[in-house]
Amino acid sequence: MPSPADLRSAIARDLRPARPLLPPSIRALMLVPIALATIVAVPATHFFRPDFAELGVVRAWGLSLAESLGGLVIVALALRESIPGRALPARVLALAFAGGLALPFVMLVLTTNRFTIGAPPGSEWSDAVICFRTSVVAAVPALIGSTVLVARAFPLRPGLAGALYGLGCGVMGDAGLRLFCDFSVPTHVIPAHGGAIVAATVGGAIAAAIIPRA
Amino acid sequence: MEQREADGAEARLCRLMAGYLEGRIDAFDALYDTLAPRIRSYLLGHCRDAALADDLVQDTFVQLHRSRRTYEPGRPVTPWVFAIARHVLLMHRRRTGRRLRFERALAADVRVAASRDEMAILAARDGVRRALKEVPADQRRALLLHHVEGWSFAEIAGHLGIRVNAAKTRAFRGMRKLKDAVTR
Repeated sequence: MPSPADLRSAIARDLRPARPLLPPSIRALMLVPIALATIVAVPATHFFRPDFAELGVVRAWGLSLAESLGGLVIVALALRESIPGRALPARVLALAFAGGLALPFVMLVLTTNRFTIGAPPGSEWSDAVICFRTSVVAAVPALIGSTVLVARAFPLRPGLAGALYGLGCGVMGDAGLRLFCDFSVPTHVIPAHGGAIVAATVGGAIAAAIIPRA
Repeated sequence: MEQREADGAEARLCRLMAGYLEGRIDAFDALYDTLAPRIRSYLLGHCRDAALADDLVQDTFVQLHRSRRTYEPGRPVTPWVFAIARHVLLMHRRRTGRRLRFERALAADVRVAASRDEMAILAARDGVRRALKEVPADQRRALLLHHVEGWSFAEIAGHLGIRVNAAKTRAFRGMRKLKDAVTR
């Protein structure tokens, strides 16, 4: 353990001008290109949902943008959580997690008025796997970007910050998925779409806990 | 009045922090002089060990230096610094707790192993004692005098009034019979 004199000389040797990090909300904006690309890439690399034309611009692109914006807000909260002394209160954390998990289902309710559209008999499992995989893969670029942003800060509760940005990234992935998948039955939506968001949340928590901090 | 003083002190810390971020060591010195006693008092209140509190203060400043980029200029310095100090304290507690658990587990293992060894030694001792009873008395005496008491064969021969070779033969035969009885 260094004595104060040792500490001072070690710091004097290492001391260089340091540029402070930008505020969390500004840093979260760095993920906007990834969020937009995710919305476009998921249906573009697969296909647009069969009722895409009937939905109209607002209910299709507009709600996906809104959902993605919700994901960005959650990532911004995670970036704020990663700054010492700016830890989020338990109530805000609870709201963020509850809101993040509820958001895709709110979008579903705003998009469809019948919850009976599902996979054809016999392909429920394979369709669920496709949606789960697509949503998780769609969340990965944002997850990598968020991990880098959080690692450059100093999260004192890395698992919590990671779970929070993982949730945000999962929501961003779902914003693309909803333009590709029109299934609305709970037996598909909850495990496949919701499960992917939970998987991204867990992935974020693990990534933030194992990746060395600044 | 007190509020105004506190605001003034915080504003001074903000200026010092800005200087520290610019790479000025005099700003670090002033920050250290201002904050170290407060951090020490906070840590001492939690760990009740002056030497440990001093170590943790040093640790806090090392962490503070590493993560100085996370300070947002213009925001109060005190919550930022104390969050780092609290983190250092919690990390120390976690490390200590882990080490204590490991040491307790190790001590328990050693106790179990030692008790097992003692049982084995007692069992072996009892077996040898029973086997010795099967060795003829003259051979047993020569064997014990040489192998247990450490006498030379010349001393045994003088003590028992026999020749040295006879003492060697008795001890050798006694040992062979003892081995047979033990392994049987």
